[in-house]
Amino acid sequence: MRIFFYKSLIVVFLFLVAFHFSFNYVYKRVSSEFNDAFSKDKIESIKNKIRLEAKTAISKDVYINPEDAKIINKFLDKIKSDLKQNN
Amino acid sequence: MKYNLFYNKNSFFLFFVYFLAIIIGLLIFKDYGIHIEEKYHRLNGHYWLNYICKIFNFTELQIITENKISKIYDYTLSPVKYYNKWGAVFDVPVALLEILFKLENINQVYYLKHFISYLTFLLGSFFFFKILNQRYKNFNLSLLGLILYLTSPRIFGDSFLYKDILFLSFFSITLFFFIKSVKKFNYFNLIFFSFFSAICFNLKIFTILIPFLFLILLIIQNFYKKNFFNFFKKFLFYIFFFILFTYLLWPYLWSDPLKSFVELFTSVKIDLINVRILFFNEYVQNRFLPTHYIISWIFISSSIIQSFLFLLGFLYCCVRIIRRLLKIKETTIFNDLWRGENERIDFIISFIFISYFIFFIVFNAPFYNGWRLVYFFNFFIIFFGINFIYNNLIFFRNKKFFKSSILINSAFVILVINNLHSLISYHPFQSIYFNNFFNKKIINGFEGDYYGLSSKHFFEKILEIDKREKIKIGVACHTPLQRGLEAFPLHIQEKFQIIGQDYANADYVYKNNISEVNIKLNNKYEIPKNFSKIYEFNIKKLLVYEIYKVKF
Repeated sequence: MRIFFYKSLIVVFLFLVAFHFSFNYVYKRVSSEFNDAFSKDKIESIKNKIRLEAKTAISKDVYINPEDAKIINKFLDKIKSDLKQNN
Repeated sequence: MKYNLFYNKNSFFLFFVYFLAIIIGLLIFKDYGIHIEEKYHRLNGHYWLNYICKIFNFTELQIITENKISKIYDYTLSPVKYYNKWGAVFDVPVALLEILFKLENINQVYYLKHFISYLTFLLGSFFFFKILNQRYKNFNLSLLGLILYLTSPRIFGDSFLYKDILFLSFFSITLFFFIKSVKKFNYFNLIFFSFFSAICFNLKIFTILIPFLFLILLIIQNFYKKNFFNFFKKFLFYIFFFILFTYLLWPYLWSDPLKSFVELFTSVKIDLINVRILFFNEYVQNRFLPTHYIISWIFISSSIIQSFLFLLGFLYCCVRIIRRLLKIKETTIFNDLWRGENERIDFIISFIFISYFIFFIVFNAPFYNGWRLVYFFNFFIIFFGINFIYNNLIFFRNKKFFKSSILINSAFVILVINNLHSLISYHPFQSIYFNNFFNKKIINGFEGDYYGLSSKHFFEKILEIDKREKIKIGVACHTPLQRGLEAFPLHIQEKFQIIGQDYANADYVYKNNISEVNIKLNNKYEIPKNFSKIYEFNIKKLLVYEIYKVKF
């Protein structure tokens, strides 16, 4: 009985420690990264970056490289024509 | 020789320590600023006093408390009707004293609370001394433990600010009666033990572990004893009185005890604060703290020698318990896990410490503001530190290297002088102590003045540099600065207008490193470019706060 009791205590103790360093550890890590990725602060920082980028775009004489502009134009035309065809 | 308080010549030294501690307390208790949670606790005290008055028909007192409650207002204050689960065991008596002494100046109310809190801390320390003396039977060593307990910088600083130190104090008393009840399992000890357990439970609900740990200890101690029924009866007696005292001391439980009791635990997840905290220069969510959070905080904000002594003392006790465990036999008349009374005390204290430590890390306890929620670990830090010194004392005595008194005196001088030096150099900001072992960058990568104690210093500084009648203050941190104004008389309070993050209208901006958001990503607390830094307040390597002034 005595040995059984001590063994039970040790098993509970080891289970808790193992639980913490396995499941709990992974859970904390994943939850933390998930929360960080979709946190208000992160969204706010992305918004700020977009604002900053937009301001930079406005202040520049030429924001898009002429070569890129041509490709984007062609790409948009292509999308437009495809959409018209399927309408 | 066991130390007897009233018949021992050493009593003089003990009385001298307490006399000195009370004198120091009287001289300095007004130096501490008003911390941000004092207003809530005052409100909590009057709220529950009002509730008690309603039940017992104390009409006059009820009107006074209602009047007081209506005057305690702050737009950042948590509504007490919802956040009413915080124990009232300290707040209600102080609210009553406020009314009895007819204290009208709010700062007097807070200072009274500070001093009572400090006296409670001294009372708790006396029981800690008694535990040490019971364990080591060496007055000098126990006195060293007592002085370290009293002079640990963060603990001393917070002793005026109640909350967590109040718990430490009652926890020390509870452990004293825990040990006493295990030693002498009689009704008299159990009543005291249940009473102080109930007070601790009122202050922190995780005290609920104590009855379980007590039961396990009793089972270990009473294996194969024939009086099992008697032992169980006495344990039920303890549980009955624990429940009774908890109920009596906590008006929150009076109306619907069972539902309210269950809600204490079910609401924890919702009610506990969910913020980001600065830890190793990263803003981490307090619900997902790393496992080393508590240990890191203890090491960075306690005396480094004390921390190492604690670690070594604790390791020594663990090794001994493991060795005892490996030698367990089914049929022995003595206990397997300890030999004698002294080892039993070591085992009880190690067992409680390990249980709490595992409990906090397994259940992801959402700590914040450093390790203040577990300041009761100071009990274990000092206990195991003294344990290590004691074991060395025995070792050196056996080897006859040198006189044991040299070891105690050296430890006494090094540890106590180190603590006293920290206490003096940090005064009155001991509660934000960091040890000098770490560099400035590391220290400032942790939360600093979370209690907003520096607000008093800040307003005094502004009064010194600006003589205008109205001054608008912006706040670039999570500290509700307006609460710190209560340390000043009304005419000074009226000079300041706190306008939060409305920086465009501010004359000055107060900034510290407390933030509930990640300021690396969020610009909520970013100082506008038209402000320039005019002052920064440092204590040693810690930057406490900065003042920015608008450029005209």
